[in-house]
Amino acid sequence: MFQVIGGRSVQAARLLAPRSAVLVEAVRGRKSRTDPVAKSKEGRIKVPPPVDPVEMVVLKERYTEYKLIMRALRLEFKEEVLRKKYEEETGSQAEERARQEAEEHRALMAWNNEENLRMLKARILRVQKEAEEAERKKIEAAIQREQEQQEFIKEKEREILQLQEEVKNFITMENLDQRIEEALDNPKNYNFAVDKEGRVIKQTVLQ
Amino acid sequence: MPRYELALILKQMQRPETAAVLRRTVETLMERGALVRDLENLGERQLPYRMTKHNQRHSRGTYFLVDFYAAPSMLAGLLDHLHRDVDVVRPTVLKKDAQVPNSNCCGPQK
Repeated sequence: MFQVIGGRSVQAARLLAPRSAVLVEAVRGRKSRTDPVAKSKEGRIKVPPPVDPVEMVVLKERYTEYKLIMRALRLEFKEEVLRKKYEEETGSQAEERARQEAEEHRALMAWNNEENLRMLKARILRVQKEAEEAERKKIEAAIQREQEQQEFIKEKEREILQLQEEVKNFITMENLDQRIEEALDNPKNYNFAVDKEGRVIKQTVLQ
Repeated sequence: MPRYELALILKQMQRPETAAVLRRTVETLMERGALVRDLENLGERQLPYRMTKHNQRHSRGTYFLVDFYAAPSMLAGLLDHLHRDVDVVRPTVLKKDAQVPNSNCCGPQK
């Protein structure tokens, strides 16, 4: 029957200052439209609250005055806000400020372009130098490789010549017997002793 | 071709028999396509421990060293052959490293 109210109507109803903690309002809850009226409410006639005409007149005057003043104040403030906004956008200061900003912008852009040019020149020089360096290094590396190859070839040639010399001492079918006799006649001893001073002693005797 | 060294331990024998064994070993090497460089005798000496081979116990043996150049593929066959030789106590084939220059400590005694 009584429903708790919330939302926008709360603020208005709160002014009525009910004693209870929760704001309640009459609403069809338990009974529907077709239910009979309660016995205790049989002869009830709804009566609007009594109004004192004198008080009413006085109140009406005061209220109109009050509302007038409030509305005037509100409109006044609103207008001030709008005026300020307008001034901000199209006032006398706005043009100057805009002009100054444009000036600054142009100056900064010019400086930026200068910087860019300078950097460009420096970069070109640097890149050129690096290219030359790389070129030089490549040539040097090529020369180095050439030299190493030559060295290698010389080394191999030397080895080949040495081997050709040594081939004369190898064992073949003809000198096999002779070499065997030689070997059996000359036993070799590879044993040696070393002491802490590093002297090498080759006097070991075979057992 | 890589260079190998055959450390051969032969049975204690008379000189002609040793010569014969050496001859047939070198001939085997040459048949298998090796190039024999040098043959060295390290003397007849006591073995570091007693070795048994071909049902015989050996306490003394003759050490020989054969340098040769050969293909790696023939080493297995060669070792097999040498193990079967009755007069050979222990054949060992090692690779020969390139000699370090200016090293006067590891040479034969005069």
